[in-house]
Amino acid sequence: MKPEYARLEQWYARALGLYPMRFREAYDETMAQAFHDALEDPGWKRGPLLRTTARDLAVSLGKEWLAMMFSSLTRPALMFNALVLAGISTVLALFLYAIPQQVLRQSLNDPQIQMAGDLAAKLETGTAATEAVAAKKVDMARSLDAFANVYDGTGRVLTGQGELDGHVIGPPQGVFDYVRQHGQERVTWQPRPGVRIAAVVERVTGAQTGFVLAGRNMREVEARETHVGQLAGMAWLAMLGLIASGTLGFAWYTERRAR
Amino acid sequence: MVNSDMPKTPLTPPVLAILLSLAGGDKHGYAMMKDARTPEGGAVTMGPGTLYGTLDRLMRDGLVKETGTTDDERRRYYRLTALGRATLAAELERLEGAVKQARVMGLLPKRGRA
Repeated sequence: MKPEYARLEQWYARALGLYPMRFREAYDETMAQAFHDALEDPGWKRGPLLRTTARDLAVSLGKEWLAMMFSSLTRPALMFNALVLAGISTVLALFLYAIPQQVLRQSLNDPQIQMAGDLAAKLETGTAATEAVAAKKVDMARSLDAFANVYDGTGRVLTGQGELDGHVIGPPQGVFDYVRQHGQERVTWQPRPGVRIAAVVERVTGAQTGFVLAGRNMREVEARETHVGQLAGMAWLAMLGLIASGTLGFAWYTERRAR
Repeated sequence: MVNSDMPKTPLTPPVLAILLSLAGGDKHGYAMMKDARTPEGGAVTMGPGTLYGTLDRLMRDGLVKETGTTDDERRRYYRLTALGRATLAAELERLEGAVKQARVMGLLPKRGRA
C-alpha cells in the first residue's frame, strides 16, 4: 500500500471515532475496510473519492447523531419526564408573569382610591365641586399625574382636572350604572385608542348626588408589565433549554452506560 | 426486526441503489458502493457512512440481513430479505409507471423493445 494511503486511512479511522458509540461499534471496521477498498480501486480517482468521503462524513455524522438522539428521546420514561418538566416550567413562567403584573396593576390604583374617597367625602359634606377639586389641568394622554373629575347624578361633567384634547370627559354610561348600584368601580378606561386610564369611580351621596372619578395614565406601568412579560418569556425559554439539554445529556449518558 | 410486511415506497436513491445491488446476490459494503456508482446501479455516489447508516436502517426494517459469512474479519456480506425484494419490485413498478407517463407526455423519447 502507498504510504499516503496509510495516512489517509489513519485519518479516516480517527474520523470514525466521531460517530455515536453504538454505530461505531457496529460498523467502524467495515467502514474502514470500505474506505480502504475505495482507495485501492483504480476506477475511483483520489480527488473525487476524498471529496465524496468528506461530504459523506459530514452528512452521515449528523444523521447518525440525530438518529441516536431521536431513539433515546423517544424512550417513554425520558419523554414523560421532559414533558412534565416542560409543563411545570410553563406554569412557573405564567406565574412569573402574572404575579408581578397583578401587583403592578393593583398598586397603580392606590392613589386614585385615596383621591376618590377623599373627594367623595368632601362633596358629601356639602363642599361645592369647583372648590373641592384643586385648580389644575392634567392632559390624560400625556401626563402620568393623577387627576380627579366630578360628574352629576346623570354622568354629566361638573368639573375636573383630567382633560383629553382640552375637554373634561367621562367614562361610558355603563360605568356610572354599575357604580350607582355598587358604590365603587375600579376600571381600565380607554377614552381613545392608545390612552388607557386606571380609574376609580365612586358614588357621591348626600345633598349633591353624583360621581367622582380619580384616574391615572397606565403607560409607564404597562411598559413595566411588558418588560416583566419579556423577562418571564426569557426565563421560560431558558428553562426549556435547560430541560432539553439535560434530557439530551441524560439520554447520551444512559446510552453509553447501557453498553 | 421486521416492522411491517408491506413494502413501503418511494425509496431514497441510496436505498434503491443498495437494494438493486443486493438483488444481484450477496455483497459486502464496498461492492455495493461500487455497484451504486454505475449507471445501471442508480449512479449514486455514496461513502461508507451513508452506506452503513442506510444498511443499519434497512436491517432494522427487515429489508436486508447479514449473511453471517465473511471472507475477511472486516468484510461482512449482506442479503435481501423477501420483504426487501418485494419493496424493490414495488419501487421499480412505481418508477416504470412514471417513466411510461413521461414517454406519453413526450418528456422522454419513445423506444421500442429489442
